[in-house]
Amino acid sequence: MNRYRTWAALAVALMLGAGAAIYYAPTDYLQGVVQKIFYLHVSSAIAAYGCFAVVLVGSLVYLRNESAAADRFARSGAVVGVVFTTITLVMGSLWAKPIWGSFWTWDARLTSTLVLWIIYAGYLLVRRMADPGRQAARLAAVVGIFGFIDVPIVHFSVTWWRTQHPRPVVVNDALPPQMLATFLFTLACTLVLAAVLIGIRYRIETLLDARLRAIEPAPIVSAAPEAEPTA
Amino acid sequence: MNPFRVAVAVAIKDLRSEWRTRELVPALAQFIVLALLIANFGFQIDARDAPQIVPGVLWLALVFAGLVAFGRTFSAEREQASLEAMMLTPASPIAIFAGKAVAATALLILCEAVLVPALSLFFGTALDPGVVFAVLLATVGMAALGCLFAALVARVRARELLLPLLTLPLWIPFIIAGGQAVQAALGLPGNYDEAVGLLIDFDILFVVLTSLAARYVLDE
Repeated sequence: MNRYRTWAALAVALMLGAGAAIYYAPTDYLQGVVQKIFYLHVSSAIAAYGCFAVVLVGSLVYLRNESAAADRFARSGAVVGVVFTTITLVMGSLWAKPIWGSFWTWDARLTSTLVLWIIYAGYLLVRRMADPGRQAARLAAVVGIFGFIDVPIVHFSVTWWRTQHPRPVVVNDALPPQMLATFLFTLACTLVLAAVLIGIRYRIETLLDARLRAIEPAPIVSAAPEAEPTA
Repeated sequence: MNPFRVAVAVAIKDLRSEWRTRELVPALAQFIVLALLIANFGFQIDARDAPQIVPGVLWLALVFAGLVAFGRTFSAEREQASLEAMMLTPASPIAIFAGKAVAATALLILCEAVLVPALSLFFGTALDPGVVFAVLLATVGMAALGCLFAALVARVRARELLLPLLTLPLWIPFIIAGGQAVQAALGLPGNYDEAVGLLIDFDILFVVLTSLAARYVLDE
């Protein structure tokens, strides 16, 4: 059992623990069982922000000193972040249907999350379409940086009108203690899961890079001059 | 070398080459008229609902015309390998980028000079100076971003696919603020001054950011 499997097993065990905690958490008086989506919905949104912060830092470091490791971290963060954003969007829609009456509204929070998803899905497509190498890494790094800047802008520019999504409840002390404890535990478990996934993805990206180098012909360092043809 | 003179020289070179071939602007103008035709068949536009639909048609046509225009700015350079030649001169990459962005903006403004009057001609909305001002403000920032990504994808295989994919999400702030400004100018609810202020903020932010990033894009 290598260390990746150990970490993966730990993350899965923690998520199962979080599932149990969510099961035993008190049921919401108004919304009923549906409210329990909250724990995973908010946790995965925060985990996604964390992943995209990894992309941002990795991209900045890559543009600064062209470190291959930073680029691999950025790639891993983008993959995991898109997964967590997808989870956030799907769970949010499932929660919105019984409570708001529709799967989707063009609300500030929903719209900016969708833009976030589109930007980083585009980032992954860039990585797929551009031939791997410096050019692709630079292109993706610029996308990663601009993408991260764009999201707060979209968020704040729409937030001044039309909001249906509730404001943050955790920092506003609006949760009863058992719910808060459950949420913090779920959040910690989700963050561990995200970190482990990024680690595993980083390993995969390293192997992909190594395979790419093995396929490419070795660079010619010094070619011996060919003998002059004799007449 | 004075970077401003370099930028002006590059911009004039681009505009002169467009003047000699006269390819892009007529094609884009035709594209815009076709977009209006499609809008006419897709929506049921009459004098009553025109103010509700026209802002959307305006931004859709402008965004897609912009993508074509910015995609073209670097493709000619790539075909002739003239970008490499320009990079060999002591001119700074940022000045070259700025020159190309200015030229692309000028071409897009020419297209808008077709689009905005055509909208009021075909759909009977007022030719409001507020609409023109908002569209011009949005063009500045959109051109900066569009040129940056056009330069980035110029050497990628699937550039026609990638350019819209990367540029459109980053243009959304301009569509949000510009859309609100145009709606307000056409008499729909909304605060025109606030939206225009937001457009100016976005312009400053993205022009600064793209000029910072231009170094990494052209510097090869």
